[in-house]
Amino acid sequence: MSLIADEIVTFSSVLRIAYNLLNGRNYLKRKKFREKEKLVAITLPFSDLAFAAGTVPVLPIRMHKFEISQYLNYLGSASSIFGWKAVSNFLSFIKNLGINEISKIIDDIIESVIVTINEKFNAMYDVGIEKGISSDFCYGLKSLAGMYFTKGQNVDACLNVTIRCSAYNKYLESLKSIHEGPKQIWIDIPPRNLGNTVELLTDNISNALNEFEKLTGNNITDNDLRAHFKIGNQVKRSYKNIVYDISASDFYPCNPATFSEIMALLSITFQDYNSNAVRYRDNIVSLEKEMRERIRKGIGMDVSKMPRIFVTPMFGGWEPKTHEILYELGGRALYADWELLKFLEEIPTGSHTNPSEEYARFLMRATETGIGCDNDKLTDSYLRMATDLNADGIIFFQLFGCHSISNCYAMLREKVRRELEIPITAITFNKIGDNVEQVKTRLGAFMEMFKF
Amino acid sequence: MDDSNLLSDFTLFLKEKKQEGIKIIAYLSHDNIPEELIDSAGFFPLKLIFGGNDELMDASHDYLPPSMCAFAQSCIGLFSIKPNYYKFLELVDYIIVSNHCVSDICVSEIISKYFNIPRLNFYVPYTMNENSLKYYKLELQDFRNQLESIIGRKISDEDIHNSILKFNNFKKKLLEINELEMSGSEKLKLIHKSMLFGPDFLNDLESLIQQFKDNPQPVSNTSKDVLLTGCSIFINDNMIDLIEEGGGNIVFFDTWIGNHYYSQVVENNLIDVKKDPLDLLVLRFKNNIYGDHSVPDFLEQKVSFILKYSENHAKNRGRKLGVINHIIKFCDHISLMSSFLKDTLQEKGVQVLNLERDYSRANRGQLSTRIEAYLEMMK
Repeated sequence: MSLIADEIVTFSSVLRIAYNLLNGRNYLKRKKFREKEKLVAITLPFSDLAFAAGTVPVLPIRMHKFEISQYLNYLGSASSIFGWKAVSNFLSFIKNLGINEISKIIDDIIESVIVTINEKFNAMYDVGIEKGISSDFCYGLKSLAGMYFTKGQNVDACLNVTIRCSAYNKYLESLKSIHEGPKQIWIDIPPRNLGNTVELLTDNISNALNEFEKLTGNNITDNDLRAHFKIGNQVKRSYKNIVYDISASDFYPCNPATFSEIMALLSITFQDYNSNAVRYRDNIVSLEKEMRERIRKGIGMDVSKMPRIFVTPMFGGWEPKTHEILYELGGRALYADWELLKFLEEIPTGSHTNPSEEYARFLMRATETGIGCDNDKLTDSYLRMATDLNADGIIFFQLFGCHSISNCYAMLREKVRRELEIPITAITFNKIGDNVEQVKTRLGAFMEMFKF
Repeated sequence: MDDSNLLSDFTLFLKEKKQEGIKIIAYLSHDNIPEELIDSAGFFPLKLIFGGNDELMDASHDYLPPSMCAFAQSCIGLFSIKPNYYKFLELVDYIIVSNHCVSDICVSEIISKYFNIPRLNFYVPYTMNENSLKYYKLELQDFRNQLESIIGRKISDEDIHNSILKFNNFKKKLLEINELEMSGSEKLKLIHKSMLFGPDFLNDLESLIQQFKDNPQPVSNTSKDVLLTGCSIFINDNMIDLIEEGGGNIVFFDTWIGNHYYSQVVENNLIDVKKDPLDLLVLRFKNNIYGDHSVPDFLEQKVSFILKYSENHAKNRGRKLGVINHIIKFCDHISLMSSFLKDTLQEKGVQVLNLERDYSRANRGQLSTRIEAYLEMMK
């Protein structure tokens, strides 16, 4: 972890994103109580309408109090006075002086961010089970339920978007039984694009917007939607650039384990943009710049000899030690779930466009060609992504209790071997930290294949 | 419940169909599949409503992880092993890939891909509103097109109307089963056979129902009345035996194999040959408020239906009603809502047993104990 932390501290944008993720509670309290804004619970990257409506979208886990390293707290406070860049430069400076205590502190900060997030996800998983969600459901669903049981009472509404996972849709239905207060706003994405489906979905979106208007008492104009989509597009552009231009390249701005850690952080935070789209856009844009700058200066690591291992899916739960283990074994883990699922597609914002219709097209594309209405389509998405990343191998996380994605493994394995001719293996996953030794063994055996 | 005779008879029946040149379209049976369209195109709709066992579940593990709905596993097992009584599955010409739940998609797709059965697609929206109804009609139209391209001709509106009428009458007759004085297992046998053979069984069904009306077979007063909700009891499943051996009697099947299926009727006065017959199927979809596929009102509708039924039962029969919520392990829909259903009903004084199980033999003892304990508690 030391090396990872050592690298990460030179990305001030990463510190900001991490701080905003962990410090969400205070930010959200301020928004709700002082600024009287409406909080809207979201899951998966479906926050766009909530932002456009002027509400504050939140992945409910972020309403929890996190054990933030006190030093990160200091950094957060200092940054509000001096700015994050100055704080980051200062940290790099004192670290370069070789003061061991300071180095240790910095290491602790970063390690605590990662550990804290994972511990909280695990705690939410336990709450989900305690509250009656069958242990047979996947990690993601139990964690989501735990988050909502514990913090759902604080939101004003839930934005519920149906997807092909029937357990997820039922979870969304259960929200009103868990807490009666929040308004339930639904968007039903039709499973396939037939006839005038986009028109129907556009109407569903308009209906959802009407519900948002009732919630806030404000009108939502086309320009409000376009303005947010523009911000979202900038986020997606930078995210995409990081995925393709940097993670698939042969020179990294840091060591590969650090890089994967950053990608994992982006994967979590992309869902609700840490509740502030403009701030998130600024952070991810500067993250891309910082990475490019380091590469330009030759700071970082030549990874051309390290096999690119596409690790997926990870958005519903995966073993976060994976990238570290892969790194120790001479490989590098690539994470790109949101791109695979087509959530990084930009939404046209021209003045002649109907933004609701464009959003409908965006959702329809994600449904049709991202997650797909069946496993044939879904496995095609994995193949496309592995090809685009020029992956040398694939690690597929098979979540216990996942009936939507994990079930495609047999079909995926067959297609990958036939069409890509690269190694693929599945790792079963139940809970973070549960079977790290087994993961090590499986990854060790897998990486042996790249030694010849 | 030993259904070997039923399956033997059905094999002969299906072979005859094939000899008549009728093609078989199979599907993991659910409440939103338009079997009338299948029928109107001259195909036989085969509902895959067969229970499983250890062997069938194990056979699915080449394709799926074990943490998958036991029914879904068994469906794959049936096509993989094709046990003696299920040889008729070799006669299947097409399989429908649908999205009642995500396991439905996955399993139908696997059956199509690995057992070389051409697929047809029919998907259902998740919510129930005006746009969902319009989308459902798009799917119906698309499905009709798929069928027409197979048969190489148009399906006339008149043929669809006739099929709707045929299934409508059949279901109306089946509805009478709810009121018959007989044991739950006898009712279930009748329902199974009817749903498997379809309207071809109507004449036999009419005479059997008449026989039971003429000679009621009241169940012992010592048995406990039970409403079965949640997952269906499929053919060749011993669940009903366990309930009856434990002292219970299912008086109402609030499941897809049961009231959900045959309560989906359209009033005859609405069947107007001058109107688009697909609109009648849309109407049926709209009226299907108890199905577990749709969100977000499934739980509310379910609770209100069970409460009403329970009150009427107490009033009309003077007997307490127990509720067994049958959960096939890893069932997304029923399992996730089970604790909410139980809590809500129990708050209103209805005792609920959430009975989760898969098809393994090893569970039998444990299930019996739980059922007996629950029925004992009902005293």
